[in-house]
Amino acid sequence: MDLKQPIVWVHEESLGSTNPALEDYPEAPALFVFDQDWIDSKHISRKRLGFLYECCLDLPVTIRKGNVVAEVLAFANRYGADGVISSGAVEPRLQRHGAAINRDCPLWILDGEPFVELPRAPRLGRFSRYWREAEPVVWESYKASG
Amino acid sequence: MLEQEFPGASGAISPIRGGRQAAEQQIRKIDGKRYARSRDHLNGAVTGLSPYIRHGVLTLAEVRDAVFQSINNRDDGSKLINELGWRDFWQRMWQELGDHIDDDQEVFKTGHSASSYSRELPDDIRDGCTGLACMDGFREELVSTGWLHNHARMWMAAWLVHWRHVHWKAGADWFLEHLLDGDPASNHLSWQWIASTFSHKPYFFNRDNLERYSGGNFCKSCSSANHCPFDASYEQLETKLFAQRVPIRDVPARRQGHRSKSTARPNPSTQRF
Ligand SMILES: Cc1cc2nc3c(=O)[nH]c(=O)nc-3n(C[C@H](O)[C@H](O)[C@H](O)COP(=O)(O)OP(=O)(O)OC[C@H]3O[C@@H](n4cnc5c(N)ncnc54)[C@H](O)[C@@H]3O)c2cc1C
Repeated sequence: MDLKQPIVWVHEESLGSTNPALEDYPEAPALFVFDQDWIDSKHISRKRLGFLYECCLDLPVTIRKGNVVAEVLAFANRYGADGVISSGAVEPRLQRHGAAINRDCPLWILDGEPFVELPRAPRLGRFSRYWREAEPVVWESYKASG
Repeated sequence: MLEQEFPGASGAISPIRGGRQAAEQQIRKIDGKRYARSRDHLNGAVTGLSPYIRHGVLTLAEVRDAVFQSINNRDDGSKLINELGWRDFWQRMWQELGDHIDDDQEVFKTGHSASSYSRELPDDIRDGCTGLACMDGFREELVSTGWLHNHARMWMAAWLVHWRHVHWKAGADWFLEHLLDGDPASNHLSWQWIASTFSHKPYFFNRDNLERYSGGNFCKSCSSANHCPFDASYEQLETKLFAQRVPIRDVPARRQGHRSKSTARPNPSTQRF
């Protein structure tokens, strides 16, 4: 099943033109929300906000501030959307927003190109362990490109 | 617009511009070979890409490919690719830890208990009036631009935790208020690496090290140059900063060269990562 009339939710981890949701759904109305709770609770400085704002100006997005989940759902409602498309996020705060959006409106997450794709989950714990597994795979694409 | 919309946010805008064009200007300057030779120096050929990577203006895969294009052989790029690997590693750790990234991952190996570290950032540090030209200088750069060189981040974090006895989380939260690339993954776990709650030993440095990699610029004009808290050998600093670990039980006398492991303090780290 495909979404017929989705909107795109752009978040702080994907403010680039390679955002897979923007790439795959160029016609869909897109939204970025400044997360007021996060800004207040973490005392995010104006420098950071200015930087995020300038990144947004490059993208075809509507900019809002406030409660992220409420703003995304209201935006979806306004466009009569049958779903929300977004990109993967690592930050737990963004994952929680995604889960809350998904309770009211189907959320699809698209992943961009990874830095390295490993055949199985690497062992973390210490960098050296991870890098022993990842480094040779990262360099495979050097050979391929060069 | 920002002042109107976010009247509570503090400070001015950074000279570091957001957006794709600014990111592309930076990425074109990548030089893997020069990077490898100079990255530990404050004026070294570091990329300045962290704010763009953090916010997905550039993906790590794009930066990886730009590094590949800037080099003629694998050796020239291995250092920079390695650093991109650090970012990927911290992100994977964050994915796994979730909100537990805020917690001490392990016990402190400094000989001090977690509860002995202050949970408040001292005012002289926040205000940049400690009288140490280096640290006040780093604070100024952090607050006015939202970016700091990796070595400056390491020195500042080590000084806060090991000399000023501030808990890493208080320092890490302060960094996140200001850093454009602020990211609990790279930030909190690097602070923990320095503090020793995510490494086998604490990281610290001395004046020689700071002077060397900063081109001596701070020490020249420092009002504390004659009573610099960093002006000592690593052995002296180690004794001063870290508490001797009390043996778990009395260890019987051993023949020379066979000191019991349980009484030995782990060697602190002076290497960067
Ligand atoms: C106490 C402390 C706090 C830090 N907090 C952050 C943070 O909040 N956000 C952040 O992105 N980095 C953080 N770092 C890592 C590192 O200092 C910065 O990524 C780097 O200085 C950014 O400058 P650059 O883009 O010129 O890096 P370069 O040296 O040019 O490296 C290229 C890219 O590789 C990645 N990278 C390089 N070194 C590291 C590293 N040690 N760990 C993780 N990624 C790395 C970054 O994405 C960087 O943009 C911290 C380091 C320390 C010691």
